[in-house]
Amino acid sequence: MNYLLHILTMIGLSIPNILGYNLIFGRGKFLHFGPIATSLFSSYAMFLTLRETGNYLSAFFVGLLASLLLSSFFAWLALRLESDALGILTIAMHLALLSVVLNWSSLTRGALGLPQIPRITGMLSLPVFASVSIVIALLWIFFMVRVHRSWLGRELSALAENRAHAEALGINRARVTLSAFLIGGLGATITNTLYPQYIGLLHPNDYQFSNLIFFILCVVAGGPGSVRGVVISIVLLTSLQELIRFLPLPLGLIGPMRLLFFGLILIIAVYIRRKEIFPMQRSV
Amino acid sequence: MQLLLNALIAGSFAALLASGLSLVYGVLGIFNMALGQLALVGGLTTWWLVSILSLPLPLAIAGGILITALTTWFGFEFFVAPYYRRHRFLPLVTTIAFSMILDGLILVIFHQEPKTIDVGTRTLLPVFDALISSQQIVLIVLTILFLALLTWVLVKTAFGRRIRATVQHPTAAESLGIRSSLLHRIVFIVSGVLAGFAGIYVGIDQNLTPTIGFAITIKAYAAIIAGGKDSMKGTILCAYLIALLEQLSIGLPWFGSYIPSGYQSTVALLVIILVLLIKPQGLFGSKTRIA
Repeated sequence: MNYLLHILTMIGLSIPNILGYNLIFGRGKFLHFGPIATSLFSSYAMFLTLRETGNYLSAFFVGLLASLLLSSFFAWLALRLESDALGILTIAMHLALLSVVLNWSSLTRGALGLPQIPRITGMLSLPVFASVSIVIALLWIFFMVRVHRSWLGRELSALAENRAHAEALGINRARVTLSAFLIGGLGATITNTLYPQYIGLLHPNDYQFSNLIFFILCVVAGGPGSVRGVVISIVLLTSLQELIRFLPLPLGLIGPMRLLFFGLILIIAVYIRRKEIFPMQRSV
Repeated sequence: MQLLLNALIAGSFAALLASGLSLVYGVLGIFNMALGQLALVGGLTTWWLVSILSLPLPLAIAGGILITALTTWFGFEFFVAPYYRRHRFLPLVTTIAFSMILDGLILVIFHQEPKTIDVGTRTLLPVFDALISSQQIVLIVLTILFLALLTWVLVKTAFGRRIRATVQHPTAAESLGIRSSLLHRIVFIVSGVLAGFAGIYVGIDQNLTPTIGFAITIKAYAAIIAGGKDSMKGTILCAYLIALLEQLSIGLPWFGSYIPSGYQSTVALLVIILVLLIKPQGLFGSKTRIA
């Protein structure tokens, strides 16, 4: 039962961040590879503040501010750069932030991470934590469905398909891009407020490049821009990721097998969804 | 002087990788995110042929390059060819999948321990007040010869003219009888072979850790973005320039104290960020319309 609750918690915790990323990468077709950088920046800002002040509310707002600031920066880059340059630069930002976290040991404790992250009062037991994360995930799904059906979702699709035509119709590219990235940043903050509390540790290993691959995999496999599809892929892939731990393999082989397995799923998903990831412009 | 020599050594490695990447981007218009893993394939298979099968070094290098070329060809056929004509950004995602699969295979076969290609006793030679090993001199000279050969092929031969014609106008080149699909395969495999040489270079000079594939790829991207995606000369020059900056950043005191060596790799990343923000087309790239 506890294991089932654990999987449910992991699914609930993944949903806000990945659905936020789906809005940017899946719907908006921005080649943005920096959601883990946003998560890393937000969570370290939040839990370092918590360590100093002991106040969860102020720590949450510092984390949110950090996330929104970095998301605004990424939105500005998306407006300024070609798509492939945006992809490379967001990866570079991710690796640069990770390098700072790993090397600034006096502040971040480097590779040791920040231990003993306390849970918010009232969320100490696993059933309560699982329930809270599932309720938050359901609320976020509802919010994201509304966003995708709103002016923002429609204008994002229009810009992704043909920027010049969309702008000629009066769509404000800067407003739409910034809104999408800020919603993505909010999703990252929600996930990263809860995840370190759940495991009781904030560790740089949880913000490695492989986590980004999981995000891309969920969006591509679920159908870029589809809330329902991405939620289903999060449920299936998170469960699969947890179940791989129980394969009868030597300990050192589990990590490589996971890479192989998810690499194969990713290429199969891209092959199936190749017409949807970067659709060709329609001609009249 | 030692810092300059170190920059020359590190820059030669990055230049090998980045020149192949620049060639692929120029001809196919795509980025290959599995380049670092292909470098590891070259280095680690050469290590295996030398250390496990006890082959002589030249034969092992030839074997390592052959295996890298075949792996690159396989990668092109399954992870690039079905996608790059549909949309040029698709290979950015598919080659990430290729890099994951290669990473997984490399970890299963070679495990996590660092490997060094054994080339016998290292003799250190003094150059002014610095030291350099004879192997490092050979590696630097070979790299410069490789890059000169590549430039000669591109500029002086009929094959190079075909490549340049395809870069300038793919449709016109095809209408003149140039088989662009074959050319794309050759160029992609050449970039993999250059990466394989870079992997062997690191394996001889330092050591190969099976988990550094992605860091290697980013180092090559730093050079290509700083130099300009359409300028191979700029890319090669920037590979050396970034290596020099890396050495200067940790080798000299800044405001009275040294920067910890852990930040060395961050320098390349900062170069990418700064160049893209200030001059998005790169230091030597031509001005094109951007988003």
